[in-house]
Amino acid sequence: MTTVAVAGRRSNPASRFLRIAFFAVVAIVIYQLVLFIALQQTWLVGTSALPADQAFPVAVQQTINALSIGAIYALIALGYTMVYGIIELINFAHGDVFMVGAFLSMFVTLGIFGQTVGVSVTDIPFLILLLASALIIVMPLTGLLNVTIERIFYRPFRGGSRLAPLITAVGVSFILQNLALVFVGSGDRGAPQVFPLEWQIKFGEAKISVLSIFIFALAVSLMVALNLFVNKTRLGRAMRATAQDQQAASLMGVDLNQTIALTFLLGGALAGAAGVVWGLRFGYVRQDLGFNAGLKSFTSAVLGGIGNINGAALGGFFIGFTENLASALGFSRWSEFLVFLILTFVLIFRPTGILGQQLGDRA
Amino acid sequence: MKLKNLGVLAAVAAMAFSACNNTPAASGGTSNKGTVTFAIELPQQGSEKAASDPIINGIKLAVTQAGGAAGGYTIQIPQSAIYDDALNGAHDAQTGANNMSKVVADAATIAVIGPLNSSVAQAEIPITSAAGLAQCSPANTNPDLTKGAPAAQLRGGKPNNYIRVVTTDDVQGPAASQYIYTTLGKHSVYIIDDTETFGKGVADAFEKDFVARGGTVTKHDGAPKTTQDYVTLMTAAASGHPDAIYFGGVTATGGARILLAAAQAGLGDVPFVGPDGINDGSAVTKDSFLNLAGDKAAHSFSTLAGIGTFDGKAKFDADYLAAYGTAATGYAAQGYACAQVFIDALGRAGATNPADMTALREAVRVAATDTTHTYNTIQGAITFNADGDTSQKIVSIYSFDPTAKDWKFETQVDYAAK
Repeated sequence: MTTVAVAGRRSNPASRFLRIAFFAVVAIVIYQLVLFIALQQTWLVGTSALPADQAFPVAVQQTINALSIGAIYALIALGYTMVYGIIELINFAHGDVFMVGAFLSMFVTLGIFGQTVGVSVTDIPFLILLLASALIIVMPLTGLLNVTIERIFYRPFRGGSRLAPLITAVGVSFILQNLALVFVGSGDRGAPQVFPLEWQIKFGEAKISVLSIFIFALAVSLMVALNLFVNKTRLGRAMRATAQDQQAASLMGVDLNQTIALTFLLGGALAGAAGVVWGLRFGYVRQDLGFNAGLKSFTSAVLGGIGNINGAALGGFFIGFTENLASALGFSRWSEFLVFLILTFVLIFRPTGILGQQLGDRA
Repeated sequence: MKLKNLGVLAAVAAMAFSACNNTPAASGGTSNKGTVTFAIELPQQGSEKAASDPIINGIKLAVTQAGGAAGGYTIQIPQSAIYDDALNGAHDAQTGANNMSKVVADAATIAVIGPLNSSVAQAEIPITSAAGLAQCSPANTNPDLTKGAPAAQLRGGKPNNYIRVVTTDDVQGPAASQYIYTTLGKHSVYIIDDTETFGKGVADAFEKDFVARGGTVTKHDGAPKTTQDYVTLMTAAASGHPDAIYFGGVTATGGARILLAAAQAGLGDVPFVGPDGINDGSAVTKDSFLNLAGDKAAHSFSTLAGIGTFDGKAKFDADYLAAYGTAATGYAAQGYACAQVFIDALGRAGATNPADMTALREAVRVAATDTTHTYNTIQGAITFNADGDTSQKIVSIYSFDPTAKDWKFETQVDYAAK
């Protein structure tokens, strides 16, 4: 019965995609409604309660903000979950790979293209060239960084105790942070917000920034591409096989080292993309950026079901929306509390995360 | 990192030379009773380095100009007596406390200048108090460090040893409030603080005063420095249509990030006002608020909890520029004033001919906290009350100067009468 259902789903990816898109749109609309109603409640938000005509545009704008930060968390969470799925290692250094990506992106825009902090690029072809170059340069570099980390620090421990690589991962995280400290210093560094923030689409009273749409669209395209790669290609099949059973995969002729390296490459590249959009959106980078972003993204991966690629994406957006809800209603002091409260309850009642773990036979 | 240290070392070397050259002349024939150390304890990483460097320079300049000696003692500030309380790029109270334990353990150290941050001072005062070491802060503004029960607890029953040449946040906050309400004529404000001792304290003092003036506070948010998404917060803030934004905190805890996010959320044209925590140098100073904010700082204002213009400022600025090659910014004059207070105190303590270094340390503490003595500092004549607070309750207001890309002195508000 189950097999038939799975087979049926596999045979029709287009309808599956439409179904996911449908649920996503429904979830977003529900969130907007919740926010729209909550923003009007004086018992909840006190004197900052808004009349309905003002609450609507704010709800729309906040939803778009949630999609932006959620997309960033989701992109980072994918790296955590893919690595966990394939070698059951929580790669604590992953958040710092994201941080390195954000710095590299800054160097590309500042150094190679000579942009300055606080000045945006309104020439569309040049902007496209700039963003494309940033992604094309940063993504392979962070991917390679992640592969290098795996080769030097994790591979020697493979097959042995699980604790040793875990502690090593914490160590690598500190190494990356401290290297950043040495090379770029400790304060905030201005990242040029080359994407013009004044580009906005009017939706009724609401102003939706084009940058938010760009971030969301980029993240979704990368996720779809990753999904197609994992599900449709030979290498993707090798990855899934390795995740299910390393020994059997190896016996069937899968090159384990190559497949695991590939997983780190993809995860690192996605974190690099997140780093590029981070700078565009928030205008600053700092050496300890990876710690918090990494923690949130790791939480996203656990929330969605660690090892599950779709779960990580879902978890990222879930955390983004939760934080957004707290901040939008004036409870910013409580946003982390809320995030981890929800995580705790999800894990109590559904220990494998929202979509369930995908760890193959060992789970 | 290395290169910067070399620069500091060079400055110290130059200092040592000038001190040697000047000592015989300055001590005017009196026999040299020995060498004493002024220790310095300030965060020297990240954006706080930009705030601390001028203070250190100011202290060294004061000692050099005083001939490097007082009361028959030669004053030295060796590099080993300049402590850094920053950990991973930002001030850290525990690191400050550890530093202070080393400071009090050095017998030759008879006074310490610092720290920059009130939260660090909270951890340090019990240590210097127990050791009876005179401490002068050029920048701490939290009222609880000197006043009432919290301060008494910090001192642990010992006589006062802590003085400061800046005024407190219960004056700094209201000064900003007065400026926004009266001078800028903005009657509704959005407040955001970094939830830390200093940031929340100054923001609360600001809010109280602004409401008392009849102003409206659209919302008062608290965003810890670990906040990821300031854009969401600012979108929510924009829905209240504030006429101004007040930020309680420092650059390292989010000053410029909030400004950038506010611009993104449509609050880019609204005055952005912050305390001394964002007055940390011009746009060319790495890590400073103006450096990170770029052109978005167009409508920014900041306050300093000290005097902005004073007799002899031109000479001080010129001397500073000649000695260090950069303009004196932030709390440079306050660092100078702290050193002047201790030089004066050492002079009076030395006159009592203390038997040994322990007795000298106590004599300096007694002299420095003497409420009857008037100090003629660079900032003018000041006295300290029994709490250790200065009689000079002046807050200066600065605005962003787009041509110089630096803070420009606007006006100063004297709260002494109030």
